[in-house]
Amino acid sequence: MAILDKKKSKVSDKVPSSSMADIAFLLLIFFLVTTTFPKDKGLAIVLPEQGGEVQVSQRNILHIIVQPNGLVEIKRGESPQVQTVAASGVEPIWRQAVTENENLIAAVKTHPEAPYRFMVDVLDALHTAGAERISLQLFEG
Amino acid sequence: MAIKGGFSRKSQASSDVPDSSMADIAFLLLVFFMVTTVFQKDRDRPIVWPEAEATMKIDEKLKNILNIWVQRDGNIFINDRPYAMGDVAAAVAPLYAASERALVISIRADREVTYNTIDLIQKQLVAAGVVRVVFATTLEQRMTRERR
Repeated sequence: MAILDKKKSKVSDKVPSSSMADIAFLLLIFFLVTTTFPKDKGLAIVLPEQGGEVQVSQRNILHIIVQPNGLVEIKRGESPQVQTVAASGVEPIWRQAVTENENLIAAVKTHPEAPYRFMVDVLDALHTAGAERISLQLFEG
Repeated sequence: MAIKGGFSRKSQASSDVPDSSMADIAFLLLVFFMVTTVFQKDRDRPIVWPEAEATMKIDEKLKNILNIWVQRDGNIFINDRPYAMGDVAAAVAPLYAASERALVISIRADREVTYNTIDLIQKQLVAAGVVRVVFATTLEQRMTRERR
C-alpha cells in the first residue's frame, strides 16, 4: 500500500498541459460558432440614374397612391376609375394586373404627409407579389 | 558520438510530439479572430422599425453598407454625426466613390417619419449617384399582419 501511494503522488505532481490545447480549441470553436454578424435586412430598391427620365406609356402604369391615412388609391393608366383598398389589398391587384400586362410598372406615389410605414406596407405588398419594376414618387396635387 | 549511451538518450527525448506549444497556437488563433472581428461602426439610434413581410437579408459585406438614420423628429444621422438634409449628398458621395460604387445605402427611418423626408433623402442619394438602396425593415410575421 505504501509503495503504491508513493508512485501515485509522483505521477500527479505535474500539471497536465496536453489538455490545455483542447480547452483552447474548444473556446476557439465556440466563439467561431456563436459569433453572429448582424446582417442588414430590408426591402432593396434600385434608384434611377440622375437625369435618366424614361417616358412610359400610360397603358403600362399602375398608379398606386398612398394617402396619409394609410388607404391606397389605385388607378390604371389614364382611366379615371379609382379603386380604394388597404395596403395589403395591393398584392392581389398587382398579381391580377400583371397577368394582363407583363410590362406593367408600379408607380407608388406617396402623399408628403403620409407616414413612411404606409409606403413600406405598399412596397412590401409589391415585393411579396413579385413586382420588380417599381417607381417611388411623391404625390403632387 | 563516442559514447553510445549518450546518443541513444538524445533520440529518446525527441520521440514525443511537443504538445505544450499547441495551446499557444490555439490561443494565438483565438486572439487573432477576436482582434480581426469588425463590428458595426455606428451606434444604433432609437427608432421604431417599419415592418415588412418581404424583408430580405442584404447580401453585401458589412463594410459596404452605409446607414442613414432618420429619427422620428426628422434628424438625420450618418456615422453618428447629424447632418442637415441638404448635406446628405455631399456626405455620401465621397464614401460612395471610396467604395468603388459598391456601397449600399440602408435607410433606417422611423416608421412615423413623413414620406416627404424619405423622398428628399432619395433625391439626395440620386444626386450623389447612389443606385442601390435598402429600406431597412424588420421581418413581419403573417400572424401579426392578419390580426391587423
